Amino acid sequence: MNGHPTREEDFDLYALGALEGDEKQAIETHIAVCPECAAKLAAARGRVAVMSFAAPRVDPSPRVKAELLARVRPEAGAFVPGPAPRQTKSPVIAGRVFGRWWAAVLAPIGVALAVATIFLWNQNERLDRELANLRQTVAAQQKNLEETRHAADLLAARDTVVVPLMPMPGVPKDSMARVTYNQQMGMLMYDGNLGPAPAHMSYQLWLVPMQGDPINAGVFNPQAGKTEHWMMHLPAGVTAKAFAITIEPAGGMPHPTGPKVLVGAIS
Amino acid sequence: MNPQTERQSNAPDAALIDRIVQRDESALAALYDRYAGMLSSVLNRILRDTQAAEEILQDIFYQLWRTAARFDASRGSLPGWLVVIARNRAISRLRKHNPAGGEEIGENSVVLPLNLENLVAQREMLARVKGALEALPREQRAVLELAYFEGMTHSEIARHTGDPLGTVKTRLRTALETLRRNLR
Repeated sequence: MNGHPTREEDFDLYALGALEGDEKQAIETHIAVCPECAAKLAAARGRVAVMSFAAPRVDPSPRVKAELLARVRPEAGAFVPGPAPRQTKSPVIAGRVFGRWWAAVLAPIGVALAVATIFLWNQNERLDRELANLRQTVAAQQKNLEETRHAADLLAARDTVVVPLMPMPGVPKDSMARVTYNQQMGMLMYDGNLGPAPAHMSYQLWLVPMQGDPINAGVFNPQAGKTEHWMMHLPAGVTAKAFAITIEPAGGMPHPTGPKVLVGAIS
Repeated sequence: MNPQTERQSNAPDAALIDRIVQRDESALAALYDRYAGMLSSVLNRILRDTQAAEEILQDIFYQLWRTAARFDASRGSLPGWLVVIARNRAISRLRKHNPAGGEEIGENSVVLPLNLENLVAQREMLARVKGALEALPREQRAVLELAYFEGMTHSEIARHTGDPLGTVKTRLRTALETLRRNLR
């Protein structure tokens, strides 16, 4: 493969281990020479790794931790930042080669060099860390910028619709939400002030299409007194006739099963 | 929980890694408490063998103890790296070999789409992944689980399910695309 993989899923498929033969080889060859795609692969590994959350929870026996700590204990505390221990060289050899006078002169110099080395090493570590923190901040800001751009695109598009969602009977009257949706972009923005979901339950927003079953448009658990705001990418081109929020078991469901809380039709 | 333990349990991964580099075993214990349950779950799901899962779990944290200095928490995700290593080793053990790309990856080669440094974030992720997987059509979810938890390649899944290779490829690609969109 001379060019970059054309689809993002290629990285996911590689990270998953599903590729084989030429397809796998092509990605490996390209990654080795392309830092940009290596970064994409790192992100793909992260996306694929979240699949591990699909595994049922199994906590390890307390014995494992006890054995681990017993295993590392002989090495624990061996490294202490600060001047190097004095017995790093054999005093017998030092005395034999240089004599006591030279040793007396060189020893403080050695200690000073060790201290200077440790100081410089610490400085280097600190600078590396600061640089890494800056990179992380830039990456976070770029992500925020991208989200802001998406929001701006959504709000600026002429065919974007804003759908107020109103409380169903029995739901507190001050529970309100708003969905901003663009069919062509497949982009949805949610703003709402629902209270916390009942214990072990989540709210789930559904796009009700003109035809077919409701489409999951986001599962969320708002905190008390906080306004919820997020964006969601949906399949582009789906014509919505309404949006609804239901209460579902924690994590959401493939199809609505619980009571409707808020509903809003597109006029 | 005493104040020191509480500080450790709230400390960011990067700070705990620094302390491990300084040979502080309590920092290793804190990271173990944070991530062992998550790793144990995926190891047991793949291996279905508690003893083997616990051996690998302990080895992974011992490796972290030995190689912590190489890890830069700002460039890679510690839980992401731990999960990838756990999965690779489990699949390798399961299949006695690992044709599915189970290489030992670098410490900074995994970037998770979110921060999992506390249990609340882990629970939220659990709920999101569960919801996203349940939203997938049954056939797509099945191929995804065969690839992730059994370490099967496209053609191995096709042989296992009896479906045409092209169908398997399409299902897996579509499942990943949907997951990525829903977990964004």
